[in-house]
Amino acid sequence: MNTVVAGITYRALLGRRRVVLLLLLPMALVGLAVLLLAFGAADQRTAMQLMDKFAIGTMLPLLGLIAGTGVIAPEIDDGTILHLMSKPISRPVIVQTKFLVAASLLALFAAVPTYAAGWLLVRNEDGIAPGFALGALVAGVAYAAVFLLLGIVTRHAVTIGIVYALVWEGLVGNFVPGARKLSIQQWAKSIADQISDSAFLRADVTISFAVPALVVVTVIAVVWAGRRLRVFSLTGDE
Amino acid sequence: MSEIYDIGYRHYDGPRLGAGHAARALTVHSLRGVFGLGRTARSKIMPFALGVVMLLPAVVSIALMALAKQRGIPYSGFAVMMQAVVAIFLASQAPTVVAPDLRHRVLPLYLSRPITVGQYVTAKVCAMTAAVFLIIAVPLVLMFVGELLVDLDEPLPTKEFAGSLVMALVLSLLLSAFGLAIASFTPRRGLGVASVIAVYLLTWAAVPILYATFQSTGDESGAAWAWLLNPFWLVDSVQSWLFGTPPHSIEGEYPSGPASALILVVLIAAALAALALRYRKAAAR
Repeated sequence: MNTVVAGITYRALLGRRRVVLLLLLPMALVGLAVLLLAFGAADQRTAMQLMDKFAIGTMLPLLGLIAGTGVIAPEIDDGTILHLMSKPISRPVIVQTKFLVAASLLALFAAVPTYAAGWLLVRNEDGIAPGFALGALVAGVAYAAVFLLLGIVTRHAVTIGIVYALVWEGLVGNFVPGARKLSIQQWAKSIADQISDSAFLRADVTISFAVPALVVVTVIAVVWAGRRLRVFSLTGDE
Repeated sequence: MSEIYDIGYRHYDGPRLGAGHAARALTVHSLRGVFGLGRTARSKIMPFALGVVMLLPAVVSIALMALAKQRGIPYSGFAVMMQAVVAIFLASQAPTVVAPDLRHRVLPLYLSRPITVGQYVTAKVCAMTAAVFLIIAVPLVLMFVGELLVDLDEPLPTKEFAGSLVMALVLSLLLSAFGLAIASFTPRRGLGVASVIAVYLLTWAAVPILYATFQSTGDESGAAWAWLLNPFWLVDSVQSWLFGTPPHSIEGEYPSGPASALILVVLIAAALAALALRYRKAAAR
């Protein structure tokens, strides 16, 4: 953890247009919750659909993508990462710092609004709101690590991340049950299921698989990203 | 002689091709750029991979027609079915059309030529529209050719096919205008990709939730309007009004056709206006 690197990264993410996008998605979630409330549809079934399909299924991967790649990909694009890498800071430490920044932003912009939206609809009934908030928090950490790694490995990180989140977790997961085991989104649902005892929530992956998987994926992604940055060479723009 | 020295520099006195030619050249250059032609191999991977994914259902459909003697995917429903792939293509390629020029600040160089801001924007929109149209229309044409060759017993759905091509063009224009308008707000490619897909996913994920909610309150006709929030279903509703095709929404009917068409026209106009305003500002910098 290096506070100067962290400060620069926070400023880069929050000071530019990226923050608009980081705000837009949680605002849409809370806005939808308010709309549902206004139409008197605030029951557990709608709350579950909003949490499952919108908060965990759409908003979280997108925010993970924006924050996870956003902490490092623009610097690599610009070539300004060289200034950072030429300082006497160990490169794994740079990666760990950037990972912490991304994870903290995800906690703020994904987990907190998820809790707020859930609370608006059903209060703390059956632990839906805290369950999904914790799921979003843990899955957000994993997404931050995975997309940070992706941002270092390839210049097309955002597109590949979208394909993973949309095609693998969305489409393939719907048709091939086995694919759900390898989906951060489903692990988040398992954690939500553990806390909530709502009858509408049914996780496909057992908690004994989800928690180790989340930890392993996060640790491996951060360590590997550090190793990649150590041997990083800046290639020309396309 | 007014010159003190004549060191042999010559003026260009050949034919001048004019602004129209410049705009056409910019269009073709941008269109090639969308598919990564004339760029590195790495930038060809994504557009062509997505193009192949779009072709897969067409191939499956032809195989189905040849072996099982029945139609696979209806022409009118192809774009709605493949909307995720089309949206990923739009999101990943729209920024490559606009972002490099903004990032490297070469807009003044373009505008020092006979080309105007309006022509520049038109060229970019035309290029992106053509690219999205190709992605949707090539599989459609392939499917139609396949149906011609297989020669099913049923009559050829020529009208449906023609209608789907026309609507594919309208859909491409709507998507490109919006995609470019969103992507042009940032000079960064990655952020542009994320913004375009975020806006699409918002409409995609919110629609079923809104529909289910309105329906649960017993408001069937109000619920139908929710479909129009998503560009693909909006264009599909216009298609079912103009060409009499069945609706391809997940469930339920669309509200009135003329209203959808009006919304469609207003949306396209708004996106183009936003793009023009954005470039007027960008050019002034």
